[in-house]
Amino acid sequence: MTARLVDLLLLRAGYNSAVVVAGAAALGLAAGVVGSFVLLRRRVLVSDAIGHAALPGVALAFLAGVALTGSGRHFGLLLLGAVASGTLGVLLVQAIRDHTRLPEDSAIATVLSLFFSVGVVLLSHIQTLPAGGQAGLNALLLGSAATMSLDEARLVGGAALAVVAACALLTKEFGLLCFDAGYAAALGWPVRRLDLMLSLLLLAVVAIGLKTVGLILIVALVALPPVAARCWTDRLGRMAALSGGFGALAAWLGAAASSLWPRLPTGGLIVLVAGGLLMLSLLCGPARGLSARRRSRPP
Amino acid sequence: MVALLKFSPRRPPPPPLSRSPLAVQGLTVAYGGEPVLRGVDFVAPEAALVAVVGPNGAGKSTFLKAVLGLQPRLAGRISCYGYPVERQRRLIAYVPQRSSVDWDFPASALDVVAMGLYRRIGWCRPVGARHREQALACLAQVGMADFARRQIGQLSGGQQQRVFLARALAQDARLYLMDEPFAGVDAATERAIIEVLRSLRQRGRTVLCVHHDLHTAPDYFEHLLLLSGRVVAAGAMAEACTAAALEEAYGVRLPAGGAAVGRAG
Repeated sequence: MTARLVDLLLLRAGYNSAVVVAGAAALGLAAGVVGSFVLLRRRVLVSDAIGHAALPGVALAFLAGVALTGSGRHFGLLLLGAVASGTLGVLLVQAIRDHTRLPEDSAIATVLSLFFSVGVVLLSHIQTLPAGGQAGLNALLLGSAATMSLDEARLVGGAALAVVAACALLTKEFGLLCFDAGYAAALGWPVRRLDLMLSLLLLAVVAIGLKTVGLILIVALVALPPVAARCWTDRLGRMAALSGGFGALAAWLGAAASSLWPRLPTGGLIVLVAGGLLMLSLLCGPARGLSARRRSRPP
Repeated sequence: MVALLKFSPRRPPPPPLSRSPLAVQGLTVAYGGEPVLRGVDFVAPEAALVAVVGPNGAGKSTFLKAVLGLQPRLAGRISCYGYPVERQRRLIAYVPQRSSVDWDFPASALDVVAMGLYRRIGWCRPVGARHREQALACLAQVGMADFARRQIGQLSGGQQQRVFLARALAQDARLYLMDEPFAGVDAATERAIIEVLRSLRQRGRTVLCVHHDLHTAPDYFEHLLLLSGRVVAAGAMAEACTAAALEEAYGVRLPAGGAAVGRAG
């Protein structure tokens, strides 16, 4: 058992599982990096809204797949459905926030629960269908790396690295947006467009996290690593990098463990590891952790 | 910069716009249907320090935000050095209220000052060694060079205010808009800000500064824009800052240029 876990961790347990674990790690990296900016922009709950709002789209994509080809398990189609309905959810949150007196958290709660209930109803309907393949659909809620194919893992890894590259290029711009959006706008930076870009990157992470972490727990992989990273450093660049590292580590360990015990949900395992890293950081982190509390602050 | 603007304007300026650093005509701004500023006309002179003064809710911050395009205007024209203000963003530096940001942000004082250089650095390029040197020079101008590497949350309120001022200096602008830079700062910071204001004026820059302390306004600024939902008085401090004008703006009797009136928002 131990030897097998070590093999999995070191990517020696066969090509397939190595690619799946590496793809998961890339996803964790992307979630941690994007999460840093999302956290500092105070939009963490938006990722929860996107995740839940994506479910009806995924279910509809599954039904479309069944109608067109007889099987609903086309990863590309499911991603498309997730992105489309996730986008709709985000736009709806923005519309509610901008055009009503509801604050953003109420808007998020409204959209999240509404979309999710539509998704759950569609899922129950799918389960009554005779068509094959619906067994894997529940895994989309909590993640199941074991059901991932090689191509899917490659797609996830490639998209995740693209997200990380975009964040690396825009670190300075996103940092300005997160720290002082008013000042950025006064200088002529396109604040709305920057916010949109950040939302799109977040949307991409949620969508490709579909099979690895699942739609319900993706918020944890976006939120926990940056909070943990903030405990270790006072600089934005280092925080984003460290957060990506924590996310990658959590996803790597979680995915490897779930290959070993395929009946446990991958998403849950990954988030448990991320939670452990957060506890450790809160206890030991020099910048914000409990040990740092004792340091005196100047007036 | 000045020469560039004179000799290579992209388009000839539309004639009626004033050439002055800031010319505002008929500016009206409303929050949710409620007008905050009505028909504001104001022209800022070249190389001047202007105090923007008025009671709570007089629209002082709103005035700055409307000029910066942060607050949509219902009516009015705003020009900056002869062009519509939208095209002159690069010439305007902004010092927001200190309370407008979260100082727990993972950034050092130098990181924040470097933000003033971002427009010149451009999209997707990193902050280089040369930019860090420029930012450090701006920190030195406000007496904060020793705190460059300090996380901004570990600075005192006055030091944070000076970091914001240094960030505006890094923009190397010609018109400076400052929202209550003197609010709640220590004596050292107050002296540093005044020194910076005077050196800006010496270099021909114009500064508009929202200021809440009527007592010190005549000492620090030679021009006044007295607001109370509209322009109550504007012009040279000595002529505009009359007892009658102050009484009209604040609704209470005050000695001209005298007693400090509580903090305005």
